[in-house]
Amino acid sequence: MNLTIDITKQDRVTYVSLVGEVDAFTAPKLKESLLPETKEEGQTVEVNLQDVNYMDSTGLGVFISALKSTKEHNTELKLVQMQDRVYRLFKITGLTDIMDIDNTVRGGM
Amino acid sequence: MDTLKVELKNYKELMQEYIKTKDEQSLYQAEQFSKQSMQQNISPEEIINVHIEALQDLYPNMPDYIQSSLSFLLETMISYGMAYQEYQSLRERQLELKSEISVAANMQKTLLSTVKPERRDLDIGAISIPAKQMNGDYHHFVEDVDGTLGIAIADVIGKGVPAALCMSMIKYSMDSFPEMRMDPDVILGSLNRVVERNVDSSMFITMFYGLYDPENHTFNYSSAGHEPGYYYSKEKDEFEEINPSGLVLGVSSETTYHKYTREVAIGDMIILLTDGVTECRQGDRFIEQEEILEVIREYAHLPAQQTVEHVYKHFERLQDFQLRDDFTLIILRRNV
Amino acid sequence: MDFQSCVNIKKEWDIVGARQLGRDIAGKVGFGTVDQARIATAISELARNIYLYAGTGKVCFETIEEINQKGLIIIAMDDGPGIRELNQVMEDGFSTSGGLGAGLPGVKRLMDEFDIQSEQGNGTEIKVVKWLR
Repeated sequence: MNLTIDITKQDRVTYVSLVGEVDAFTAPKLKESLLPETKEEGQTVEVNLQDVNYMDSTGLGVFISALKSTKEHNTELKLVQMQDRVYRLFKITGLTDIMDIDNTVRGGM
Repeated sequence: MDTLKVELKNYKELMQEYIKTKDEQSLYQAEQFSKQSMQQNISPEEIINVHIEALQDLYPNMPDYIQSSLSFLLETMISYGMAYQEYQSLRERQLELKSEISVAANMQKTLLSTVKPERRDLDIGAISIPAKQMNGDYHHFVEDVDGTLGIAIADVIGKGVPAALCMSMIKYSMDSFPEMRMDPDVILGSLNRVVERNVDSSMFITMFYGLYDPENHTFNYSSAGHEPGYYYSKEKDEFEEINPSGLVLGVSSETTYHKYTREVAIGDMIILLTDGVTECRQGDRFIEQEEILEVIREYAHLPAQQTVEHVYKHFERLQDFQLRDDFTLIILRRNV
Repeated sequence: MDFQSCVNIKKEWDIVGARQLGRDIAGKVGFGTVDQARIATAISELARNIYLYAGTGKVCFETIEEINQKGLIIIAMDDGPGIRELNQVMEDGFSTSGGLGAGLPGVKRLMDEFDIQSEQGNGTEIKVVKWLR
């Protein structure tokens, strides 16, 4: 399985749209594209996960890196339209409490 | 078949034979020759040189332009020969690294080994199988003099050497804690600070820590973002998720953990696992929570160690004997 | 008995000059075609390193004629910035990954003896020997 990463910018918001699976194979590629976006001060990075049906802990690690980077560079990270199966992973690991996650479109747990 | 020895000095005869017969057998010998040359570390330019010498020998009146063109060819092969030798030396180094990793894997096994306690009051089963050479899962049992049993189960993200190094760090931090009994929430809090300070930003660890108190028959536990376990109540004949909230280790130094307590009745079971169990896949389909519980229920009448082994075998078969992730399952049952 | 001659390396073309002189001397010492080609390749690597990293320098040749053995010494010297991480440049796969060719480990393999001295800011001197067998 593959991961397609699409990045567009509008004013102070970077929209990152992902399609596919985020696992040990695709995570390095995601990290490479996502991390630089979190380093421009004042920027908000919004990641759309509507078409991500699977994520493993390596993928979670990328978002933790990104979160730490936003704190260092004074930027913001938002995860939107997360599928239930992926949301469960963020919920178990306690990340839903410290991350800006919106899964209202597909319904939460 | 011709028994001519495949050696550099026989190249001339081999070539002559082919020029005469143009048959497949000679070409097969050329193949043998090329393989043996590689085994003896002979560079391509040397073979071309032997070729030139053989030609000069067989055809003393060889035209000058052929002679020159072959010298030109020899010159162009020098860099390939060097690349080949470099490849040989890199390959040797790769073998060295591979054997070093296997030594490291064995050391890790010894370092992280834990003895499953044999107790009258508790029946304990534990299994931990790595998907690759090094295990990123970890579990540990500690018994106090007063009979209190501590159980840690953890999962480092990532696999291989970085995960193993990280696990060793956790193990040593836990060993360095004071001898006196520490509550699960305190243990996780201390570990969180260790991990947060020492680990790469994209690395994190999930851990569940539980303490069984044999006097009050209580189970105290805390979780740092670990895969939820299950509690089986014999009286109700029901499974229930144990899902204490808590952030994974290594993300934020300010996090605190909560301690939860529950009473354990005779015949009740506590089931702890890692995501290698819940993320089992059959083809493209994920296994549902109910299926895991059904399988556990099916083997629950057996001693705990046999139960965990049967459950493992079930899921191993379901996944065509190819684990995608490290698999750890622990079951505790109160006997008396 | 000693015979010494040098080629100054200032431009890429000088690499060819150094190869030519080295090959001629090697032929006179008695080296065969393959060894001549290897010696020329080693000279190329040494001269190219001077041209790329030091700017200017020279490659010198000296023949050895003793009773029981004959050989060729090649010395490459420059006043360039020097090499800081000697152990790194002598490692396989280090310079080749940058597309520089065989690098110094390759030179070492092509020749029989290899010695390098380098100090940061004080240039580099590489001495290699090939024995006639």
